[in-house]
Amino acid sequence: MRHAFTQVDVFSATPLRGNPLAVVHDAEGLSDAQMHDFGRWTNLSETAFLLPPTDPAADYRVRIFSPGGELRFAGHPTLGSCHAWLARGGVPKRAGEVVQQCGVGLVRLRVADGRPAFAAPAMQTSAVDERLLADVLAALGVDHSKLLRAQWLDNGLKWLALQLDSAATVLALAPDHAAMKGLVETGVVGLHPSGSECDVEVRAFIACVDVPEDPVTGSLNASLAQWLIGAGVLPERYVAAQGTRLGRAGRVHIAREGDTVWVGGDSVRVIEGEVAL
Amino acid sequence: MSAARPFTQVDVFTPVALRGNPVAVVHAADGLSDAQMQDFARWTNLSETTFLLAPTDAAADYRVRIFTPGGELPFAGHPTLGSCHAWLERGGVPKRSGEVVQQCGVGLVRIRRDGERAAFEAPPLRSEPADPALLERVLAALGVPAAKLQRAQWLDNGPKWLALLLDSADTVLAIEPDHAVLKGLAKVGVVGAHPAGSEAAFELRAFAAPIGVPEDPVTGSLNASVAHWLMGLGLAPTAYVAAQGTRLGRAGRVYLQREGDSLWVGGHSVSCVRGDVVF
Repeated sequence: MRHAFTQVDVFSATPLRGNPLAVVHDAEGLSDAQMHDFGRWTNLSETAFLLPPTDPAADYRVRIFSPGGELRFAGHPTLGSCHAWLARGGVPKRAGEVVQQCGVGLVRLRVADGRPAFAAPAMQTSAVDERLLADVLAALGVDHSKLLRAQWLDNGLKWLALQLDSAATVLALAPDHAAMKGLVETGVVGLHPSGSECDVEVRAFIACVDVPEDPVTGSLNASLAQWLIGAGVLPERYVAAQGTRLGRAGRVHIAREGDTVWVGGDSVRVIEGEVAL
Repeated sequence: MSAARPFTQVDVFTPVALRGNPVAVVHAADGLSDAQMQDFARWTNLSETTFLLAPTDAAADYRVRIFTPGGELPFAGHPTLGSCHAWLERGGVPKRSGEVVQQCGVGLVRIRRDGERAAFEAPPLRSEPADPALLERVLAALGVPAAKLQRAQWLDNGPKWLALLLDSADTVLAIEPDHAVLKGLAKVGVVGAHPAGSEAAFELRAFAAPIGVPEDPVTGSLNASVAHWLMGLGLAPTAYVAAQGTRLGRAGRVYLQREGDSLWVGGHSVSCVRGDVVF
């Protein structure tokens, strides 16, 4: 059976500079096993399958698969799916807003200037054990004096978050991935000098799940925004850069309005065609 | 950003979609820079991405450049079969019927068409004995008792594999390797015979933790080397079918055939994604 297919690059307006996502349109009729097999075969971090919604309030339904299994929600697949759905002629029920049905229920996306943004999920924080922190800093090769703050951030995905003294320190990190493999998912952030194109530089080290560094990470940026805006470190609107050291140029657009932190990004279609499954 | 180019993502070593080893193929790639090719190969995240170009050698039908996420390769097996399939499907007409000549980093590679399958001529093989101390550590990492090992040899036809012949396909299929330990040892290929009369004569598995791939689904170079090795010893017939990828939910089938001094490595290919690419 043939289905329309799009492979989009997310968190970038320039092809090949963001985080890729495979999207199968009109995926009704595919079995769970076929979705999982294709999600494994693409070898991408996520593959999305667009379906008619079963909730009348939703514009479309999406199922998100990683090579290891199905996910209830994930950030870059949500932005990429919304972009691909709109680009193939999807018309939302309400102008300026798209409602996505997925494993966690309904997710509202704001679409301003063609750039979708999702509301960051609720986050819990907890204190970091000093011994673990010392091990992580050693594996990252960064001196304790360059650490400004550390916190566990958990919005479904759990990150050990470190704010370092500058974007330059973040960009200079050359972690020992073998040592990081035995530790935890670690996100680092540092401020760029004022007047720079981006406000902060972010890197995500996830050797513990066999990827040394993730190019652009929606969930981490969502949690970092809640943490650092809450701490008064960052303004209510800012742009984060990620993936620089991997040759990517990910841009995550953050905006807090009321109690909601919106996580947005551009997407661009790279491959357009059909898939025979 | 450049113009749209035709794009195919092909599944190789299987007639059934999603059961083989994928390769991404960009057609009409003339004009792309080396950096653009490398960036796209990193972005697809597949083991190989190929770029079809006009040949510069008059004897060739097309030229291909083969990239992994980490760099360019002079030759590789499954990208060769997948590129040939995609080129023919998009209307490529070979200069001589029944044969396609591919120009790539190692020079000209002949590809034979055999009904729905295609086969390439395997590169020459060098082999050397395996060090017993290394062998002992590899067997421990695989969890295989020494009594089940029949032979071991280093095999090198470009990519280098430590090849182990085990007592049966069942033993091969039952292996649960410690990939963290194998990562510090070697790329290991294991092979074992299926009972006589089975659909496939041998079962193979390829463990490549040292290059960041715990297990490769279907591996042209390893199958070529193993066939050279086992046929040379009289332990395999001069034509057989090998199965690979079974434990990964794949059903790779590799067709090996010796004719004179040539070894042909063949398989089916099926196009899964067809469309255009812009970057």
